[in-house]
Amino acid sequence: MAGQHKYSVLLPTYNERENLPVIVWLLTKTFQENNIDYEIIVIDDNSPDGTLEIAKQLQKIYGEDRILLRPRAGKLGLGTAYVHGIQHATGDFIFILDADMSHHPKFMTEMIRLQQAKNLDVVTGTRYAGNGGVYGWDLKRKVISRGANFLATVLLRPGVSDLTGSFRLYKKEVLAKLISSCISKGYVFQMEMMVRARQFNFTIGEVPITFVDRVFGDSKMGAMEIVGFAKGLLQLFVAV
Amino acid sequence: MTRATEAATFFGITATLYLALLFQWLPITLPKTVQEFTLPVLPWWALVTFGAYSLGNIGYHVLTFRDCPEAYDELQVQISQAQNDLRSKGVSIK
Repeated sequence: MAGQHKYSVLLPTYNERENLPVIVWLLTKTFQENNIDYEIIVIDDNSPDGTLEIAKQLQKIYGEDRILLRPRAGKLGLGTAYVHGIQHATGDFIFILDADMSHHPKFMTEMIRLQQAKNLDVVTGTRYAGNGGVYGWDLKRKVISRGANFLATVLLRPGVSDLTGSFRLYKKEVLAKLISSCISKGYVFQMEMMVRARQFNFTIGEVPITFVDRVFGDSKMGAMEIVGFAKGLLQLFVAV
Repeated sequence: MTRATEAATFFGITATLYLALLFQWLPITLPKTVQEFTLPVLPWWALVTFGAYSLGNIGYHVLTFRDCPEAYDELQVQISQAQNDLRSKGVSIK
């Protein structure tokens, strides 16, 4: 279905020893079943739990042309992980998704289909539209998520329904341009990518996705995240 | 123009227009009820309306926020498939 294109998946990891093998298995399954040319770039930030060891074992099974290991010396942040990953990517399209299986790779085919049908620059997964949804969220978490998204939509008017999602497909050069112009870090970074994409008049499409809260390990959502979100949002409001 | 300057421009123009009407700086005569009763409470009406809209919007979207237990179930099955398959290929999975 993908024609001559090659898709590079960037997987920044930190302590994902349990998740990495499964997400790689799901990714390869989806790509193979649909005859899509791919590579998976694992950017591990020196996880103490031995994520890199597992990644090496996976590389032996799937091949060095399919699983690329580009580890870094320590926790250096999401934005720089993508920059680091892109430098080594040989695909003309880049997938970004969380390594913790909250994003299911099966949605990649739909994202590719939409991208090709409309020649879009960015396709982003949305939990908030169509048949999208979440699993494992209580009422409080839903209210926070919806409130945060509403606030961000009012202040930034980005034109997409799910600003903070991070399951996306980019044209490689579009992602490179967006990252180089982004100023924020962490959680807010995903939001800024969409706002900047609008600013540069890149075309954006949305595909409904389901989001299953991480099965292994802790979910990162507390008071600090909310404060960080608010600060980042205001920075973007002033900057973009 | 950033979103902040856009918002500042919008509120600046709106506020100027409002004050001009409220203090009758313009050569326009509004009906007496509008001038004396509507205009003084208009900002509060706008504030309450926006607040109600926000709460309604968030509330509606929380209510219609879909739960997807089927996605969880599917994932659980695939996780064990993946783990079994990879274990058989020699990956050290607990």
